[in-house]
Amino acid sequence: MTPEFDELQTALIGGNHVRTAEMTQSFVTSGATPQDILEKGLLPAMQVVGRRFRDGEVFLPEVLVAARAMKSAMAVLEPLLAAAKYQSKGKVVLGTVKGDVHDIGKNLVGVMLRGAGFEVVDIGTGCAAEKFVDAVRKHQPHVLGLSALLTTTMTYMKTVIDTLRSSGMDVPVIVGGAPVNAEFAQQIGAAGTARTAGDAVELVHRLIPQA
Amino acid sequence: MKPRRRMQLAMSGGRPDRTPFMCQMSIGHMLQQLNVAAADFWCDPRVFADGLVRLQRQYGFDGILVSLHGHDPEWRQNIRERFPTDGGESIRWNDGSVTFFPLDDLPHHTPVSEPEPREIDPSLIPKEIDYIPVSQGLHFHVHPKHAFDILHRVRSLAGSDVAIHAEVTSPFDYFLDWLGHERGLMVLIDDPLTASLMLKKFAAGVAVIADGMCREDIDAIKISSPFAGAGFLSRSHYEEFILPHERTVVEAIQRTGIPAYLHTCGAIGDRLDLMKRTGARGLECLDPPPIGSTDLEEAFRILGGSMFVKGNVDPVNTLLLASDAQMREDVCRRIALGKKYGRFILSTACSIAPHVPKEKILMMRSIVEQDQPRKRTIFGKKAVHRHDT
Repeated sequence: MTPEFDELQTALIGGNHVRTAEMTQSFVTSGATPQDILEKGLLPAMQVVGRRFRDGEVFLPEVLVAARAMKSAMAVLEPLLAAAKYQSKGKVVLGTVKGDVHDIGKNLVGVMLRGAGFEVVDIGTGCAAEKFVDAVRKHQPHVLGLSALLTTTMTYMKTVIDTLRSSGMDVPVIVGGAPVNAEFAQQIGAAGTARTAGDAVELVHRLIPQA
Repeated sequence: MKPRRRMQLAMSGGRPDRTPFMCQMSIGHMLQQLNVAAADFWCDPRVFADGLVRLQRQYGFDGILVSLHGHDPEWRQNIRERFPTDGGESIRWNDGSVTFFPLDDLPHHTPVSEPEPREIDPSLIPKEIDYIPVSQGLHFHVHPKHAFDILHRVRSLAGSDVAIHAEVTSPFDYFLDWLGHERGLMVLIDDPLTASLMLKKFAAGVAVIADGMCREDIDAIKISSPFAGAGFLSRSHYEEFILPHERTVVEAIQRTGIPAYLHTCGAIGDRLDLMKRTGARGLECLDPPPIGSTDLEEAFRILGGSMFVKGNVDPVNTLLLASDAQMREDVCRRIALGKKYGRFILSTACSIAPHVPKEKILMMRSIVEQDQPRKRTIFGKKAVHRHDT
């Protein structure tokens, strides 16, 4: 963590979104570059939150308020980053597969990925294979994430992967959800799975070497 | 020994003739086994009750969990259109909303328009709760004039020898459903006092439902609380936002003499002591790794004979994915631990997954029927004195 951003980081880790946005604006006004605010201030703070979540030191409510604080800071920075043609660490498309309306796990993975500096496109729940194909074609993600909570819907993940491959798309696919394990992921041709949202971030880092 | 008596003895610390056996089933599993129209099973009290009893007999369960209540016997009058769809059928209701009923899962409901986010205001919570927040976006409406008819109906069909357990949903589930899951979780940090007031109101409403159930001929009430595990909340949040409100519901149930038990999915291994402090007589589920974090023997030690345990065969990794030999070993280990510590009912941890073959459950029954009683359990004697008097 960088000392000059201590206070900003404390506000973000504590989930104080008002203070986080105010301090971000204050750094911008005082001449700090948006890249520095993001990379030396905000992202390391979210990494702390992610590590604490992985280690069982904080739980979902604390992660969600920190992510909200991050979002409030990004609302200040995004126009500036876009103007500076800032590149995120990579793009990930996420969706829950057809037949499954559950989104808590998917949303949490999205929160953690955004907090780690990735661009996330969430295409929602109950997504048919064709919707994933369209999203990959449109957004050109580095990684595609499939979510399923149910044993009945996890099998559809294979349909999605098979449809992508038959459409000539070789994007790495990661899969997650309560009943999903590494053996299943391997069987259906996924690039990997993760038990927790924090693990999912590490998996995406491994799949996007430059990230 | 009659199944009902076997269950009662296991729950109270007595000595049943063998380990009782009673699993809860996912709606998808029930549909797969029953070959009935999914919409009829979900909505029609006769079809639902008949299905529950048929499955209890098919599997030889010592009890039946009645997971829904408040069916409207005139539900068909609300149908505008009923039509087949891919993987099931759909109903368009008179209000324009549509429910899709898959053949192997809970229904998916699409309202006419998305509801507006609610104010974070305890005064908006109704005193009388007339719905069950079954799953994300899915409510089961409780008909006020027929709120508990289903319990009576199942008892009539099942007879007096089978245990019947009713089910209520935890105040915390109502709270998350009311505000939306992510928003609700953030309110715990943003405004804990208001969150507690809202939970208190939901607890009072759930206690009224539970009290009504206790007037029926039932043997226990399960409090379903899937979001209270370590996948969601810290121990301190459990202590602040779960424990006092589940205790309210537990007290409302147990003051009538009927035992209450808690069902929380996922990782609860770190909070068994807190769950014990609700005063509930039992715990269900106790998901083992990798889905959860509960080691059954450790749980027995922590609970110290103060609560019965109903669990904890992994319905996915053991019943759906493991070999028969692995499954047998898993089940036998649990029965042995149950005999060692007492107050045990063999069950799946979470519900039997939809595509678990019938034969696997019948194998569990066969194993449990070969079980012989243990003369003395570690906590048995103490528990008999406390609860059989």
